[in-house]
Amino acid sequence: MPYHTFKCSEMLPDREKHAVIKGPGEDITSALPLGNLNTVPGTITERGCAYCGAKHVIGTPMKDVIHMSHGPMGCTYDTWQTKRYISDNDNFQLKYTFATDMKEKHVVFGAEKMLKQNIHEAFDAFPEINRMTLYQTCASALIGDDMDAIAKQIMKERPGVDIFVCNAPGFGGTSQTGGHHKINIAWINNKVGTVEPEIKSKYTINYVGDYNIQGDCEIMTDYFNRMGIQVISMFTGNGSYDDLRAMHRADLNVLECARSAEYICNELRTRYGTPRLDIDGFGFDLLAESLMKVAMFFGDDCVEKAKAIIDEEVARWKPELDWYAKRLKGKKICLWPGGSKLWHWAHVIEEEMGVKVVSVYSKFGHQGDFEKGIARCSEGALAIDDPNELEALEAMEMLKPDCILTGMRPGEVAKKIRIPYLNIHAYHNGPYKGFEGWVRLARDLYNAIYSPVMNLAAIDISKDDFETGKGFMTRTMLSDPGVPREELHTENMYTGKMDIVTHLRGKEYDFPAPEPKADAAV
Amino acid sequence: MTSLRPNLKLMRLFEENDMEMKERIAILENYIMQRCLWQFHSRAWDRENQNNGILGITKTMLLGEEPDLSTPELKCYWVDAKCLVDGFKTKFPWVNEMNKEDIAVMMDGLKERIDYVTIHGSLNEELTVKLY
Repeated sequence: MPYHTFKCSEMLPDREKHAVIKGPGEDITSALPLGNLNTVPGTITERGCAYCGAKHVIGTPMKDVIHMSHGPMGCTYDTWQTKRYISDNDNFQLKYTFATDMKEKHVVFGAEKMLKQNIHEAFDAFPEINRMTLYQTCASALIGDDMDAIAKQIMKERPGVDIFVCNAPGFGGTSQTGGHHKINIAWINNKVGTVEPEIKSKYTINYVGDYNIQGDCEIMTDYFNRMGIQVISMFTGNGSYDDLRAMHRADLNVLECARSAEYICNELRTRYGTPRLDIDGFGFDLLAESLMKVAMFFGDDCVEKAKAIIDEEVARWKPELDWYAKRLKGKKICLWPGGSKLWHWAHVIEEEMGVKVVSVYSKFGHQGDFEKGIARCSEGALAIDDPNELEALEAMEMLKPDCILTGMRPGEVAKKIRIPYLNIHAYHNGPYKGFEGWVRLARDLYNAIYSPVMNLAAIDISKDDFETGKGFMTRTMLSDPGVPREELHTENMYTGKMDIVTHLRGKEYDFPAPEPKADAAV
Repeated sequence: MTSLRPNLKLMRLFEENDMEMKERIAILENYIMQRCLWQFHSRAWDRENQNNGILGITKTMLLGEEPDLSTPELKCYWVDAKCLVDGFKTKFPWVNEMNKEDIAVMMDGLKERIDYVTIHGSLNEELTVKLY
């Protein structure tokens, strides 16, 4: 097994099986790190807790909901607004976050009374919102407050109100992945099947495991709608609480992030017989195949529409992708996302942008996620499970990447050693899904790698040994010498608009008439 | 659907010295591992179902037979199988030149490899966990 030992972790023998280098001729039966294990004491993990996984990752993208944490203020504050999961209702779920603000006296004497009061106050303050998700935290779990009982009381006292209780305290798992699991199962156990949707099309899906970062989900649902497919629910980006209660009525579950949402797809398959289809929403080639797969499930009329979308989008955006690919060719990147981009991007970003993925990592991924990522990435790639800051620094020194694709916390560390980073958690200038979105990613990657500031920042202005009579190197001066002269002006760089999402809202679609179903009654 | 039971006679021939067949299987295995996600469900039993369903229908289609699409589950398998068949035929033109006997041997060998890589030879310690 080609395990890689970091020098900084030599004194931590428990870390020795958490990093591998995929050597020549090796596959996932010989190169696979451990995953989804408790963090080794002594390392500084970048992981979130299970509460964070339930609330911040999956629960909060739901748009028409008061998201309340039953615990200290810090729990909700620290999981607020760090991801740009926008929505088409003026971002209610991003603007507001709610907590019961538990104190020591509540831990001693109980906090149920205070919880009930907080719930009433929140509904009174926002009378247009009558749905709530209620998140347990470590504090409320340890004192054993019966949140379900309080929720039932409130629903009785306030007809029309519906509350979802999520019992995923921070300690409930190795990392945020424990919370993903708990909220998936709680939702299907308690809420799915309690609302009947309005069926508008012969073809219906749930779009699962997308959190609408800067509009990703809205780009994809636009494609599906143009194909004549009704998206009954989005789990959970731009998702509506009541739509998600109707997940049982979809013909197909289309799954993007298996790590955060495969559980509900698997349960929908077992309980309602709805098949699960895993797709890739990123990259021209894989996205085109994914749209075709969904279309083929429904039939020829859908396939024709999907083909038309793909032809139109590829013709419009491929030349602009190629402009960037010529300039990104051979650049080395570390693909260090939280979860699913580990496998969605590992191969296609090399194929279509010409960059080389020299490392993949995941903070909370399971071994199954690494199997997907390592199977797709090239020889020589370093795969790391639950890395800490020192290991990441050592990896960057060893691999000398041109850019790190990651989240804010490790990204800011990279900047300190003058390696640019691209935020692929909350995005820089997304959405990155869809054909145009993939070009926006290429554009942001190009801007990061060739930013003039990376050279300027290397100058030590405390010394007087730099040239003052010379201008700085612009992006073009840095990027274009590697492009053959005859190819310099054959395509354009990105010409799209800054906001490519808002115009999709309120768009009208033609759906094929639904067929009456024998079991449509509640 | 075509039987998934290995053709032992043909497999023995394959094991002896058919390097070309082995190389072809390796190419198709690599294609699946780089493009597809269906083989990576989270439990061994689930992977068995996926591999049987999708590779079974792929074999049926490559042999020119009609797959069974009578349930949503089978239709979902067929969707991935159809993409595989199209991909195999487009990217690897030699697939179109093969006779049915060789296709059957190749698909049995491919199924065996995918089962090995994703199930029997997998280092994934979660594959046998009973709950999701």
